[in-house]
Amino acid sequence: MGFILDGLESEHYDRSYSDRDLFRRIGRYFKPFRAGLALVGIVIAAASLAEFAAQLVIAKSLDVVAGSSGFRTLALLAAAVIGFGVVEWLFNYARHFLSGRIVGRTIWKLRSDVFDRAMKHDLSFYDENTSGKVVSRITTDTEDFAGVINLVTDFLSQVLLLAFFFSYLVRISLKLSLIMLAMAPVAFAVAMAFRKLARFVTMNAKRVTAEVNGGIAEAIAGISVAKGFRRERTLWESFKKDNQLSYRFHLRRGIVLQLIFPAVVIASGFGNGLIVMAGGGLVRSGGLSLGQWFFFMQAVAYFWWPLLNIASFWSQLQDGLAAAERVFSLIDREPKVKQCSPGDPAEPAGAATASWTGAAPACAPQPVRSGGLAVSFRKVRFAYSDKELVLPDFSLDIPAGQKLAVVGATGAGKSSIVKLLCRFYEFQFGSIQLGGADIRAMNLDVLRGEIGLVAQTPFLFPGSILDNIRYARPDATDDQVMTAARHLGRGDWIDDLPEGLKTETGHRGSAISMGQRQLVSLARILLKDPAVFILDEATSSVDPFTEAQIQEGLETVMQGRTAIVIAHRLSTIRNSDRTIVLEKGQIMEDGNHASLLRAGGYYARLYDTYFRHQSLEYILEQSS
Amino acid sequence: MSDATEFRSGEAVHYDTRSTGRWIFSHLKRYLWLPILAIAFSIANNFGYSAVQVLIGRGFDVLTRPDWVTRDLLLVAGSIVLAALVQGLTGVGRNSSFEFLAQRIERDARAELFESLLGKSQTFHSQAKAGDLMARATNDVHFLNLMFSPGLSLIIDSVFSTLVPLAMVAFINPRLLLVPSLFIVGLIITVRVYNRTLNPVTDEQREAFGELNAGLADALEGIETVKSNLGEVREGAAFARRAGRLRDLYIKVARIEGRFWPLLVFAVAWGLGFLHAAWLWHSGVISAGQAVSYMMLYNAFRFTTFISLFAFNLFQMGQSSGKRVLETIITATRLDENRLGRGGRVEGRIEFRDVFFAFNEGDKPVLKNISFTIEPGQTVAVVGRTGSGKTTLAKLVPRVFDASSGQVLVDGVDVRQWNLESLRSQTAMVEQDVFLFGKSIAFNIAFGHSKAGPDLIEAAAREAQAHDFIMGFDQGYQTPVGERGATLSGGQKQRIAIARAFITDPRILILDDSTSAVDSKTEDEIQRAMKRAGQGRTTFLITHRLAQIRRADRILLLEAGRLAASGSHDELMDSSADYRRLFEKV
Repeated sequence: MGFILDGLESEHYDRSYSDRDLFRRIGRYFKPFRAGLALVGIVIAAASLAEFAAQLVIAKSLDVVAGSSGFRTLALLAAAVIGFGVVEWLFNYARHFLSGRIVGRTIWKLRSDVFDRAMKHDLSFYDENTSGKVVSRITTDTEDFAGVINLVTDFLSQVLLLAFFFSYLVRISLKLSLIMLAMAPVAFAVAMAFRKLARFVTMNAKRVTAEVNGGIAEAIAGISVAKGFRRERTLWESFKKDNQLSYRFHLRRGIVLQLIFPAVVIASGFGNGLIVMAGGGLVRSGGLSLGQWFFFMQAVAYFWWPLLNIASFWSQLQDGLAAAERVFSLIDREPKVKQCSPGDPAEPAGAATASWTGAAPACAPQPVRSGGLAVSFRKVRFAYSDKELVLPDFSLDIPAGQKLAVVGATGAGKSSIVKLLCRFYEFQFGSIQLGGADIRAMNLDVLRGEIGLVAQTPFLFPGSILDNIRYARPDATDDQVMTAARHLGRGDWIDDLPEGLKTETGHRGSAISMGQRQLVSLARILLKDPAVFILDEATSSVDPFTEAQIQEGLETVMQGRTAIVIAHRLSTIRNSDRTIVLEKGQIMEDGNHASLLRAGGYYARLYDTYFRHQSLEYILEQSS
Repeated sequence: MSDATEFRSGEAVHYDTRSTGRWIFSHLKRYLWLPILAIAFSIANNFGYSAVQVLIGRGFDVLTRPDWVTRDLLLVAGSIVLAALVQGLTGVGRNSSFEFLAQRIERDARAELFESLLGKSQTFHSQAKAGDLMARATNDVHFLNLMFSPGLSLIIDSVFSTLVPLAMVAFINPRLLLVPSLFIVGLIITVRVYNRTLNPVTDEQREAFGELNAGLADALEGIETVKSNLGEVREGAAFARRAGRLRDLYIKVARIEGRFWPLLVFAVAWGLGFLHAAWLWHSGVISAGQAVSYMMLYNAFRFTTFISLFAFNLFQMGQSSGKRVLETIITATRLDENRLGRGGRVEGRIEFRDVFFAFNEGDKPVLKNISFTIEPGQTVAVVGRTGSGKTTLAKLVPRVFDASSGQVLVDGVDVRQWNLESLRSQTAMVEQDVFLFGKSIAFNIAFGHSKAGPDLIEAAAREAQAHDFIMGFDQGYQTPVGERGATLSGGQKQRIAIARAFITDPRILILDDSTSAVDSKTEDEIQRAMKRAGQGRTTFLITHRLAQIRRADRILLLEAGRLAASGSHDELMDSSADYRRLFEKV
C-alpha cells in the first residue's frame, strides 16, 4: 500500500552526477541481467494483458449472453476468465521471482563493491564520514538503489495496464474515452496538492517525534541523577508536554494522510456518474453496446489509483537515484594512500620524495629486521585538510631499539606522527623510512605487519578474549595466545577474568573493564611480535592496581623493540630512553625527564600543567 | 502497576495488566465510543460502496429497457454520485475515528510506560539496557498505534467490505451467495498458509540483516585495528558471506511473495462467480442488471484479498510490541518508599553489618560479609580494583540498592526503616560518569533543589570552584551544556555535578570520582572543592587518586567484594602488600 505516500520525505540532493552518467552506471550493474530484465518486461506486459483480457471477456460476454446462448458458451467464457486469471497469477509469480533474483544479486554485488572500497580507504576518509553514515550507505542505500528496479517494474505494469485499457476504449468510443481522459489532469492535480500538504504535516510530525524521543533518551540516561535528587517529577512534566504535542501533530498528520482515499472515492463516483450518463446516450444512439458500456464502468475503477501512483513516481525515483549516487560516490572516491605496485620497475623509486599525486611506485625490497627497526622522518609536511598544517617540516631519527616518549598539548601533532608511520594518512612532502626503506615503497601489509599499534581507546571485536588477542595472527594456537597473555605483567590479570581467556568481550569490550581491554590489546601486539611498537596512551586512567599491571605489561612488550609512546603518564616518560616535546608540529625539546625538567623550558611547563599531580611529591603535599 | 514504585504522577489511569490482550483492551476501553463510531461509519461506508456497484447494475437494467428516458438514467447517475459521497464522507469519519483512537493509545501507552520507568528502582535501571528501553518507549509504542490505524481499521473494514456486499448479494438473490462463501473459506485458508511460509523466512531475513549490520559496524568502527592488524581480507570475506546469505533470503522471500495463493483463489472464484451469475441470468432467475451488480460487487473481494494480509500482520506486530511494553511496565521492583518510616535529620553515622549483596537472587554476590562503622563527619576512601564493588557498596547507603542480607544502618537505624524521601534528600551522590541534562548550567545545578534561586545556585557553584569558569562563558549560568554536557570539559562537568550536590546541603556525600584526565591545575581545583565538600559531612570517596586516598580518615580496601583491609594510610602501608604496590609505581 505504498501508493502515493512513498517518497514524501524526498529532499533535493546536491547531485554531482548527471542523470546520464548515473543511468549509465546503474545500467552497468544490471548489464549481466539484460536477458532477465527483458524477460521481466515481457512477463509484466503479459500479466497486464491477461488482467485486461479477463475484464474484456466479462464485458463481451454481457453482449453474448444477451444474445441468448447455451450453457457451453457460458462455461467457455467462464473458463476464459479463470484461465486469464490463472495466467495473470503465473506471470506475476514469474515477475516476482525473476526481479527478486536480479535485485538480490545486484544488491549483493554492489554491497561487496562498496565494502571493498570502504576497506581500502585510509583514515582521512573516516574522519570525514562517520562510520554510521558509511554503514547506512552499504546497507540501506544499496537496497534503495536496487529498489529502483521494483519501482520501475511497478510503474511499467501500471502504465501498461492503463495503456491496454485506454487503447481499447478509444477504439470503442473516442468520445467517451476523451471524457475519461479529462479525469487525468484532475487526478494529477489532486495527487500533487495532496502530496504537498502531506509532506508539510509529515515533516512537522517528524520533528516532534525527534523531540519526544530525545527527551525519553535523556530521561533514561539521567534517571539515576533524577532519582538521587528525588526529582522524577521534573522529567515527568517535561515528558508530558512533549508527549501531548506529539499526539497533536501526529493526529493532524494521520487525519490529513487518510483524506486521499475518500477524496478519490468521491472523485471516481463523479466519474462513474458522468460515464453512466454519457455512455447511456451513446447506447441509445447505437454507438455503444451494453457490454462496452459496462467495460467503461469497470475502467473507471482501474483508472484512479494508477494515475495517482504515476503522479508520485518521479519523486520516488529521485529518492532511488539519490541513494545510487551516494553509493557510487563512495565507490568512486580514490583512497589517498596507495599500495605500491609489486614488480613494476617503470616508476623511479625517487619519485616518492616528490609531492604525492602520481601513481603508486614500485615496491622496494623488505627491510631486514634485527631487534627493532630504525624509524626516520625526513622533512615531512602533513595536513589533514587544506586548512591546517599539522606538521610543517618534521624530521626525527629514532635508532633501532630506542624507547621514545612523545609529549605535548592536545593538537600538537603527536598522534599524526604515528598515524603517518602506519600510513593511515598520506603526507604531502618529505619521506618516512622504516629500517632504511621508504614506507611508500613498501607493501602495506609488510609495513603494517612490522608495526604494533595500541590505540588510545582499545578496540575489541565481539567474541572471546582469545579471538581478540589472535586478531593479528589468526593462525596462532590457544597455547601461543596463552603464553603471550601470561607474559604481560605477572599474568594474574587473566585469573581476574570470570572465564579466563574464554571470557566474552561483549559489545566493544563492554563486558570487561577498560584496564582489561588495554591489557588485551597489549597481548594482541605481543603475539603479533612487530619490530616497532606504538602506543597512544589512554588519557583516562584505570584503577591504580590495574595501572600497575599495565605498566609491567608495557615493559614486556617494548623489550627489544623500537617504541614510540604518546605519553600521558609520568611513569611512562620516566621509563623511556628519550622524550621529545612537540608543539605545533615542531620538536621543541629533546632529552629525558630529568634533563628536560632541569632545562626549565617547555617540558617544565607541560609538567606543571599535565603531569605534576601524578607525582609522589604532589600526593604528599596534598595530603599533608 | 506494581505497588512498589518510587514515583507516581498522580494522574495515571488504572490499566488491566494481567495479560497483553487485556492490557490493550483496557486502553481501548477508555475511548470505547471511538471504535463503536468507527464501526458505524465503516458499515455506512461499505453500504455506500456496495450501493454504487448495485446502482451500476440498475443503470444497466435501465439501458436494456427499450423505452428508457433520460430522467431514469439521471436518477441512477445522481444516486451513484450521492452514494459515492456517502462512501467518501463516512470514510473520512471512519478513518478519523481510528486515527484519534490510535494516536491516543500511543500517547497513553507511552505515558504509562514512562511513568513506570520513573518509578522503577535503580537496580532495574542499572541492569536494563538503555537502548532496549528506548526502543520500547518509541518503536514498540508506535507499533501499538499502527495496530489500530491502519491495522484494526483495515481489519474491520475488510470484514465489512466482505459482509456488506455479501448482504447485498443475498438481497439480489440468495443463490448467488454460493461462490463468494466458498471464496471466503479459500481466502482464509490460503492467507494462513502463505503467512506460515513467509513468516519464518522474513524472521530469518531480519536476523541476517542485523548480523550484517553489526559486523559492518564492527569492521568500520575498528578500521584502525583492522588495518594495523592486516584484517582487511578476512573482514571482506566475512562480509561477503553475510551479504550472500541475505541475498539468498531476499530471493527466497521474492519467490514466496510471488506465489501469493489468495490471488489465485480470487481469480478462480471470480470466474466461477461469473459463470454462476451468467447462468442464473440465462435461466431467467435474475435480470442482466442484477448480474452486472453482482460482478461489480465482486470487486470488493479483490480489496479484501490484498488488504487482509497486511492488516493482520500489523495487528500481530502490534500485539508483540504490546507484550514487550507491558513486560517492562509490570517488571516489579523491590524497593518500597516506606512513607511512614523514620524522617528527620540525618547525623551521619553509618554502619555496615555483615552485608552481602547480589544483583539478582542466585547470582554470585558482589559484596561479601562487609562490616565497618563510620562516625559522623568522617571521610572514608574506598579503594580497590575495577569491579571490586566500590560503587555498589556506596550505593547501599541511599538505597539505590538494598542489601541481600545483613544491615546497613544510618544513625543506628536500618536504611529500610527510613522514609526513602527523607534518606535520599539528605544523601547526595556525584557519579562516576557525570550526567548533565541538555539544558543550561543553571538548570543542572538547580536540579538538586526544587526551589533554588540564582543566589543559591551561585553559592553552590562558588563552593564547587565552578563559578569562575562559568562566568568565563558568554552566557554565564544560562550557557547550554549541549547534549549530555558535550560542550564542557570533564573537569568542568565534574564541578557542576559537585555544585548540584552542594545545593541540597546533604548530610552524607558520596563522591564517586570520575577519573577522566584532568590537568594538574584542574586537579588542584577539584581537590579544593572536594576538601570543602567533605567538611561537616560524612563522606564516601571512591577514588583512584592517591592524594585523596592519603587524606581520608579511613581507607577501605576492597578485593573481589570482600573488605581486604581497613585503616589509615600509614596502617595500610605497614599491613597490606597490595596497598604498598600502588605507591611503588608512582
